[in-house]
Amino acid sequence: ILLIVAKKVGGGLATIGLAGAGVGIGIVFGAFLIAYSRNSQLRNELFSYTLLGFALTEAIALFALMMAFLILF
Amino acid sequence: KITAAVEALHNDSDNIAFLENILDDLVKNGASGEAYQEALHLSASFLNRSPLDQFSILPLIPMKIGNLYFSFTNPSLFMLFTLSLVLLFVHFVTKKGGGNSVPNAWQSSVELIYDFVPNLVNEQIGGLSRNVKQKFFPCISVTFTFLLFRNLQGMIPYSFTVTSHFIITLGLSFSLFIGITIVGFQKNGFHFLSFSLPAGVPLPLAPFLVLLELIPHCFRALSLGIRLFANMMAGHSSVKILSGSAWTMLCMNDLFYFIGDPGPLFIVLALTGLELGVAISQAHVFTISICIYLNDATNLHQNA
Repeated sequence: ILLIVAKKVGGGLATIGLAGAGVGIGIVFGAFLIAYSRNSQLRNELFSYTLLGFALTEAIALFALMMAFLILF
Repeated sequence: KITAAVEALHNDSDNIAFLENILDDLVKNGASGEAYQEALHLSASFLNRSPLDQFSILPLIPMKIGNLYFSFTNPSLFMLFTLSLVLLFVHFVTKKGGGNSVPNAWQSSVELIYDFVPNLVNEQIGGLSRNVKQKFFPCISVTFTFLLFRNLQGMIPYSFTVTSHFIITLGLSFSLFIGITIVGFQKNGFHFLSFSLPAGVPLPLAPFLVLLELIPHCFRALSLGIRLFANMMAGHSSVKILSGSAWTMLCMNDLFYFIGDPGPLFIVLALTGLELGVAISQAHVFTISICIYLNDATNLHQNA
């Protein structure tokens, strides 16, 4: 019983790590907005770099989520 | 145990008719009655499941040589399926030696996938984005195409996502990274180690920096594989968990739950859309990271 309870508690604690990833995603798109407003070269480089940065940052969020799943089950 | 089985089946533990059926059966036949045994089997199959069961690897044709298992498993079947899908796709679209000059929809999609990779390769590895050093192109093109199709093929319902096992993605990323290191040594000799030292660093600090640079270098191999694995596994697991809760809400015989059911359903819809995007973008990220590491290994921080 203690193992089951500890698993649930560990799963809950492990999803706290998604907070930092959320901040990081906001920073990436905020930087994209500022850069686009300075120099409108959209759909050549800026947007593709934005999506690249989003994917890399989302990877960290998914590391945390994967640890939560591994602890939880 | 019976209550657990009834709960799992009918989602409320006072379904009188079902309990009556089991009670009658028990009274008549003792502990080996049919309905009781059935309920036991059903409860066992419901209580030991977890959302990670969709990732189980099943050997389809077991082949064992000594202590090594060479069996033909689930992932092997789906990798073969992906391989044949890609080859058939490319073959049927560009028949008669290259298709039409004005491409139809299938051909332009194949051309899009095919044309995507040289841009990446030229941008990262080529010196001034000229058409240089095409010897890396086939490997990167194969990596990108197969990752794209393997990720997308995991979106088909009831199929098996091959890249959601870290054995497979870590194997791929480690092999590619060892290849990059060998290419770096082959091209630059032992000057490859000068890649670890930025320019203009005072000499007493140098060994410390080399050590500190080797650690991210080794970590890149790991992170490349883990990024792909974590994205795929977390996406599929969360879709499974949310859809399980949506289904449970649908089955409860309660009007309140029925009205609130479209909530998880729309979340599952949104997550599936996000997963399609993630499938494509993770193939792209993998490939572009490989190109960046190749650039670092062969061009040694020079810019031209």
